[in-house]
Amino acid sequence: MDQFIEQIVTGLSIGSILLLVALGLSIIYGSMGIINLAHGEFVMLGAYAAWVFHTYLGLGLLASLVPIFLVVAAFGWVIERYVLSLLNNRPLDTILATWGVGIMLQQAVRLMVGSELRYVQLPPALSDSMDVLGIPISSYRVFLFGVSIALFGATWLLMNRTTVGMKLRAIIQDRSVAASFGINAKRVYALTFAYGAGLAGLAGALVSPLKSVSPDMGTGYVVDAFMVVVLGGVQSLAGTVASAFILGELSGGIAFLQNDTVAKAIVLLAIVVLIRFRPEGLFTARVRA
Amino acid sequence: MPSNATTSSGLQRLIAQLAPLLIVCAVVFSLPVLLNNDFLLNKVARYLVLGILTVSLGLSWGFGGILNLGQAMSFGLGSYAMAMALKLKTVPVHTGASGLPDFMVWNNVQHLPWFWEPFRSLSFAIAAGLIVPALVAAALGWFMFRGRVTGVYVSIITLATMVVINLVIIDQQSYTGGFNGITDLAQLEIFGVAFDAYGRATYYLVAGCVLLSLLVAFAFTKSKAGLIVQAIRDHESRVRYFGYDVALYQIFVFALSAAIAGLAGMLYTVVMEFASPTFLGVQLSLSVVVWCAVGGRQSLVGAFLGAVLVAGMQGALSESAAFLETWTLVMGALFVLVVLFLPKGLAGLAQATWRWVIQRRQAASGAVARGVSQTEGST
Repeated sequence: MDQFIEQIVTGLSIGSILLLVALGLSIIYGSMGIINLAHGEFVMLGAYAAWVFHTYLGLGLLASLVPIFLVVAAFGWVIERYVLSLLNNRPLDTILATWGVGIMLQQAVRLMVGSELRYVQLPPALSDSMDVLGIPISSYRVFLFGVSIALFGATWLLMNRTTVGMKLRAIIQDRSVAASFGINAKRVYALTFAYGAGLAGLAGALVSPLKSVSPDMGTGYVVDAFMVVVLGGVQSLAGTVASAFILGELSGGIAFLQNDTVAKAIVLLAIVVLIRFRPEGLFTARVRA
Repeated sequence: MPSNATTSSGLQRLIAQLAPLLIVCAVVFSLPVLLNNDFLLNKVARYLVLGILTVSLGLSWGFGGILNLGQAMSFGLGSYAMAMALKLKTVPVHTGASGLPDFMVWNNVQHLPWFWEPFRSLSFAIAAGLIVPALVAAALGWFMFRGRVTGVYVSIITLATMVVINLVIIDQQSYTGGFNGITDLAQLEIFGVAFDAYGRATYYLVAGCVLLSLLVAFAFTKSKAGLIVQAIRDHESRVRYFGYDVALYQIFVFALSAAIAGLAGMLYTVVMEFASPTFLGVQLSLSVVVWCAVGGRQSLVGAFLGAVLVAGMQGALSESAAFLETWTLVMGALFVLVVLFLPKGLAGLAQATWRWVIQRRQAASGAVARGVSQTEGST
């Protein structure tokens, strides 16, 4: 029984990290149709930013979260403005361009700070463990779970309760009509991409105490995050949350029964089959055309 | 005589279209005369093999509109098929007549697994290197295209499938050599000719396969099926309304592309003298897309040259200390620029330049003709 609960909690923890990484990807893909293969590099930039703020400015992880968001969002803004906005109506080419940008970011970091592994410290206030249903769990993981839910809430509010969100949804519906109502699509797109990038940066900063920070750390995340987005349904934020935790529990659960490799392979195959039969994702209702 | 005139002009056009292909192949075949260095020749052969792989992607992506992000899967399957056959040839030498490949011995495998058994025959291995990738691709294509999966989703499915196979190969160390791959191979020997990786024979084998695969791909793009595939790329639903079985054509081009990639994989094992899980990794798969895009995805010769040039430059620069670090940065930037400003790649640039030259000449000769007629008029 204890083991079972432990398994579920592990799954929740994997799921909250997946959600953190996938949230930004989901917004960018869902609203702009851009497959952002540089997303993993935004995660990596966030992790390095955390390391830089800590080692050179002495800022703790929690204190540097807002600056990290802004820094990575600025990267996103520049990339959207000078690369992706030139690729309107060429969705497959955005895959290629973002991949090119991704390897540039990776190599630039490698050149500037070297490829040796870096480590970020856990915030002291969150370095102990707490008791959940009689099982000791690191406070930091509970914190991650809370943050990922909070960020999801903030994003939902941003999309559904603010003017920028409303404009974005108008552009998604019909760009030319939105433009004729005076909505500046270019600006909204740039802001959306920047926000998505900033979220990825936060994700990177938040996972940095759990894993070592290296220039190629993003590659692993981006594939997993894609699977979350596709499983959840492209334009469904709620679907992204659900699928992040389902995939988290699944990989936790299968890994417990079998080994890690088999778990990964099974999850990937399940997703391949899912795309074939429900390309719109598990959690979106079919819309009448 | 009009029909005769059209056929001869058709023939002329065919020759004009084949010319770049034949020129490139002539250069490829004459290189050994210029390069008197076996190591360099081996390196060139390596890039040529990557060129064949990129042509195979150009066929499905440029002509079929199917962006396969798992193209290295077929390449890797071909490479392992060849490696298994060449590994079994070392068995009597190293571990006795009834022995097993060395890595199986280290992993305490008692009997040769059933799927290794047929690879004792080289002809079986070569057939498998072509047919297994084609069959896997046909099955995957049937699964995807019958369900009308398109665009980005095709890319994700192909990528995920390749990652799964890669994971399985790494995980099943006792049967596949795991991370290390299959190393310490015997030389390929066909009809008494030994193909040493650093020998001329191997180079000419690769060059012959370059010619063969370019010709096969060219013939396909000019065939009726090839034209329909291109029509599907541009207007899928229209072709469907004309009553064509769209999925069938997509499956065919997908499988043909996989078979050519499988051929490239087999050659790669011969040239590199090992097979490794990185041969069907994400890195190689994405690199192939880069080469194809840089060279020109809708040009077979362009895709081939794109691979040879970029991979060649990468190889050369990554060996010089000055560019070891910056090269990847340069490649990323180059790639972004090509995607942004040269959607048809270097081949598109070459075509545009050629057209511009022709127009300039026509304009010039037109001006001369006008000048002549004017002087005639004045006299």
